Amino acid sequence: MKALRIERKPVRFAAAYVAGSVTPGKGATWGPLRLADVEGPTLPGRDWVRIRPRLAGICGSDLSTVDGHASRYFEPIVSFPFTPGHEVVADTDDGGRVVLEPVLGCVARNVVPVCAACARGDLGGCERLAFGDLSPGLQSGFCCDTGGGWSTAMVAHPSQLHAVPDDFSDEAAVMVEPTACALHGALRAAVRPCALVVVLGSGTLGLLTIAALRHVTAAGTIVAVAKHPEQRRWALALGADHVADPGQEARLVRRLSGSLAYGNQLTGGADSVIDCVGSEESLAQSLAMVRPRGTVTVVGMPASVRLNLTTLWHRETELRGAYAYGTEHLVDGTSRRTFDLAFELVRAADLGRLVSAHYPLRDHRQAIEHAATAGRRGAVKVVFDLRQEKERNR
Amino acid sequence: MSVDGERREPFELQAMRVAARAVEGVGTARSRVRTVRARTGFPWTAPTAPRGVEVQAKKGRTGADFETEWARTPVARAGRALLVEGPMRAMVSMAADPERVGQDRLADLRSARHPGPVIFAANHHSHVDAPLMITSIPEPWRHKLVVAGAADYFFTTRVTGALSALVLGAIPLDRSRVNRRSADLAASLINEGWSLLIFPEGGRSPDGWGQPFRGGAAFLSVRTGAPVVPVHLDGTGTILGKGMKRPKPGVTKVTFGTPLVPTADDDARTFAERIELAVTALADEATSDWWSARQRAAAGTSPPLTGPEGSSWRRAWALADHRARGKAGQRRRQQRAWPKLD
Amino acid sequence: MPRPGFVLDVDRSTPPILFWRGEGFSLEKLPAGRTRVIYPAEALPALKDVDGSIRDALLHPIDSDPLPALLFPGMKLTIAFDDVSLPLPKMRRPDIRQRVIEAVLDLAADAGVDDVHLIAALALHRRMTEAELRHAVGDRVYDAFAPRGLLYNHDAEDPDGMTVLGQTPQGEDVVMNSRAAESDLLVYVNINLVAMDGGWKSTATGLTNYQSLRHHHNVATMRASRSFMDQHRSELHSSNWRMGAVIKANGPRVFQIETTLNNDTFPKPFEFLAKREWEWTGRDRGLFLGASKALNRFPARRARELFAGIESPHQMTSVQAGEVEAVHRVTTEHVYRQQLVAVEGQTDIVTLGIPYICPYNVNSIMNPILVMCTGLGYFFNMYRGKPLVREGGVLIMTHPTPWEFHPVHHPSYIDFFEQVLADTTDPLEIEAKYEKSFAEDEWYRHLYRTSYAYHGVHPFYMWYWGSHALQHLGRVIVVGGDPRAVRRLGFHPASTMDDAFEIASDVVGRHPTITHLHTPPLLMADVS
Repeated sequence: MKALRIERKPVRFAAAYVAGSVTPGKGATWGPLRLADVEGPTLPGRDWVRIRPRLAGICGSDLSTVDGHASRYFEPIVSFPFTPGHEVVADTDDGGRVVLEPVLGCVARNVVPVCAACARGDLGGCERLAFGDLSPGLQSGFCCDTGGGWSTAMVAHPSQLHAVPDDFSDEAAVMVEPTACALHGALRAAVRPCALVVVLGSGTLGLLTIAALRHVTAAGTIVAVAKHPEQRRWALALGADHVADPGQEARLVRRLSGSLAYGNQLTGGADSVIDCVGSEESLAQSLAMVRPRGTVTVVGMPASVRLNLTTLWHRETELRGAYAYGTEHLVDGTSRRTFDLAFELVRAADLGRLVSAHYPLRDHRQAIEHAATAGRRGAVKVVFDLRQEKERNR
Repeated sequence: MSVDGERREPFELQAMRVAARAVEGVGTARSRVRTVRARTGFPWTAPTAPRGVEVQAKKGRTGADFETEWARTPVARAGRALLVEGPMRAMVSMAADPERVGQDRLADLRSARHPGPVIFAANHHSHVDAPLMITSIPEPWRHKLVVAGAADYFFTTRVTGALSALVLGAIPLDRSRVNRRSADLAASLINEGWSLLIFPEGGRSPDGWGQPFRGGAAFLSVRTGAPVVPVHLDGTGTILGKGMKRPKPGVTKVTFGTPLVPTADDDARTFAERIELAVTALADEATSDWWSARQRAAAGTSPPLTGPEGSSWRRAWALADHRARGKAGQRRRQQRAWPKLD
Repeated sequence: MPRPGFVLDVDRSTPPILFWRGEGFSLEKLPAGRTRVIYPAEALPALKDVDGSIRDALLHPIDSDPLPALLFPGMKLTIAFDDVSLPLPKMRRPDIRQRVIEAVLDLAADAGVDDVHLIAALALHRRMTEAELRHAVGDRVYDAFAPRGLLYNHDAEDPDGMTVLGQTPQGEDVVMNSRAAESDLLVYVNINLVAMDGGWKSTATGLTNYQSLRHHHNVATMRASRSFMDQHRSELHSSNWRMGAVIKANGPRVFQIETTLNNDTFPKPFEFLAKREWEWTGRDRGLFLGASKALNRFPARRARELFAGIESPHQMTSVQAGEVEAVHRVTTEHVYRQQLVAVEGQTDIVTLGIPYICPYNVNSIMNPILVMCTGLGYFFNMYRGKPLVREGGVLIMTHPTPWEFHPVHHPSYIDFFEQVLADTTDPLEIEAKYEKSFAEDEWYRHLYRTSYAYHGVHPFYMWYWGSHALQHLGRVIVVGGDPRAVRRLGFHPASTMDDAFEIASDVVGRHPTITHLHTPPLLMADVS
């Protein structure tokens, strides 16, 4: 079968780091990613099944891996060589369509008894990530035993699979996983009714977060920060009330929150800031814009940053992360799986619209470059289309 | 002709004497000089007067009759301009650190198509006053300016007279009596377009308080029609006041007042009073502020320049108070010099 | 004898015409046969004895007792004066305001008046700095009054500082600075640079607050002011005059002193900027070439500093004092005498060179909103009768329009540009949707009161100022402007004058008639 694989080659990673720093996405040409004809993964356990991806998305974390920018923190919780791709809609052998929930928790790893987090349904918080029957790997797509979506075939545990309703297009279905991430982030932010919320970043994650905020929280005013005109239009379409150019958001938040300022620091500010970028600048900006005792939720994946945390101390700001998904406890007291909510949101907000480009595996370099420069080129989500691959139907 | 001849002859003699002295300086043998002198005598030396003739008093060439016209030639003016803008300005700013205000009151005189001559009338405390004024008077008057100097002070010897005329542009003014010649000279210079700086008090203050104004400035203004600009100088008395041997650097303030023009019913005396009142009001303005000074002037309660009446110690006592309010009270603190004990 | 203004018909021998471009200028060749250039009149002769004329005006006022008769011991006297927005560029010292104020205070001192306050009547403009106040009133007055807190900037947001004087029959609130309102006599010292200034606008606008201003600083009023430079056809002025009646009835006695200036705008050696191009000497041409080349090389900041240093040799052509309306009638005559130029008929296009300065960026930056206000607000409205450009015509202006704002002076402008104009450029929509929130923003209020910022609502007024033009014009083109900023204003950017005519051709056809307003110096077109 055909698969894009990443191998452990330090020189390649270094080359990717250099190339990716010069031109985003160029890591695909110089880095460790290779299109290869490989043996399909063997089933690692009794319950496991083989699935054949139809569409597989290119996610921000994939890009940072390909460009060699991912934090070394991940080293112990990935296993080489792996095939990336965790936003997957696939065919099962029995003819059904499924969406993959890629987190590899205790159940998939055959850890008995399951850890406390998995017992609660908080899959993202699983405490046995690198243990059990599988090689280390936080998600399918980072583990050498499971394969990943950027190939014609992979394996999955039935607990990871969600059946796709018939009225869902493949494009809508492939958006379910990132939507679940965004939903989790929006809910982690614990937005109070009528709150002023700022979303930094208008990539896929930022836009989906805006949609999630609009649908599952009672946020009052949502401010998006968008660099490119296409992003600006999407942000407004998905529920943002105001869109600011980068660098202008602090002034907008000042005016909307009616606060004063000293230096760059607002005296008041937004009730909640959701950082879908995760860079040093965006985190510093978040802390400067959030009101005292407000919350900064980091949804975009950060690496090492230098940050002045005096305001965190002085203004008692909460800085919290939001990773993956699991089970959400809603305001009305009910608990729902994030993926179930995500299916609803994708349908309600018609998020399949956000898939803007399809590429076959052989054009993976163009695909990754496109994804890395999506905002500038007016795209949102770029996916690999595997439906036409010959090997798939062998 | 004869008068001219008379005047020139002694000068030639003097030149000869200088030449002779020069010869003496470079002269080789003393004895040789002596022989030369012995051989020559008069006319190489001054004649002795025969006894029994009445020796006529020499025609005065100093005092009010000192000739200063040469100091107004273009060459001398250019030289003076260089002196004023260079060393004089530097020395004034070092010794007196002046703050100059009120020049805007001269804007109309200046913006006239052909700015005419002006009489600047200032109070007088110190030898710093003249250089301070010369460097403060704005263009276009600064470099076409003569200064009325006391004939009996600046022009007593040829050297001081020449220096005063060259450096300050001084002209001799007789302050002890009305002197047609010095008044005519000043008036004709004004008519030729020269501005005049005059200190109507007639001399530096002997005790730090002002003296009554004399009529000279007013008289010249009435006669020539040139406007009088009253000026107040504050703080110069403590820099090089009368009786001080060495200058003590300090802080000063020059306040220009609104130009005064004699009206149809002004004579020199009433106009002089107005000038004195104007300087009095400026003095008040310099030590308080314009509005308070203006209110007091309107009410006729401006503190007089001449200080309180009464015994001399009370005047001295009040002077300290008066100086403390003005710029002299802000004398630059000098570093205390402890005697070296080693 | 100064020559009056005139209208030049451009032919093939006409040299290229001077266009201002912010801190710079260019020469543009205008099409022959269908273009006319309106030149301002040369500077009228100045009054010979300025101080004497001022004193004479105070002693022999129009429709009023002489000033000394209005002054008595124990009275409360307030002197209000125009702020840093007048005159433009700032005039050489001594400023006229200083001369008038000193003359008034002289009389007040003679009358034994003790309680005097001086107030810079700046309404919602930024506060004047010490240096600016010193320039306006002179060091003597500043040093006498400011340290004791008797000379200060008007504060429209002082909760205890404003007094409601009543309402006009139309329900317009009349509010005035309390000190002024409670005075026995309010003396207003005005500089009438353009026909819009002066009259009741001095007191009713200069000393009031947002509550009162909103009745005439709004889109409906500005659209009904055709133009706001012509007080008889200006709703802005009608409203101010109605408020004046309330001040007359319930407010302090007002003694208005108005002055007019001549056209002598540029100091040596830059007088050529006001000359007619075919009269430029070799020296003028050399200076133009040198200056425009050098300015292109200069960093913007240096160029701004250079221009901010210009002190214009403006001279006073008249001074009159007394009853507000009577005085203003005379003043307006004098302004017209200098500025009015008779022009016949309208054209398809009007072209304007926008200079480096307008009333709201003294010692500051000409930001895009001010470019709009100068072109579509001030210059467009410099007409009496009909606008120079026909309805549906095109306005072309030259200015670099950088996306740049003075962070201290114009904080609310930044937000207006980034947030409001990004949403809409329609004045009515802007007024309805955003005005209140900006006017009541506590941060802007704080900066207005304690820093040197224009009030939060001020950028809205700038936009309203151009609302009549926005309604009248078919298209606005900015030559040489930053395209992003120009588009944000809702205008069309063009790189050269030829491009601009090309862009205009969709609206006015291939052979449009063109008028160029050769200003500054200021002129007002009397269009028949």
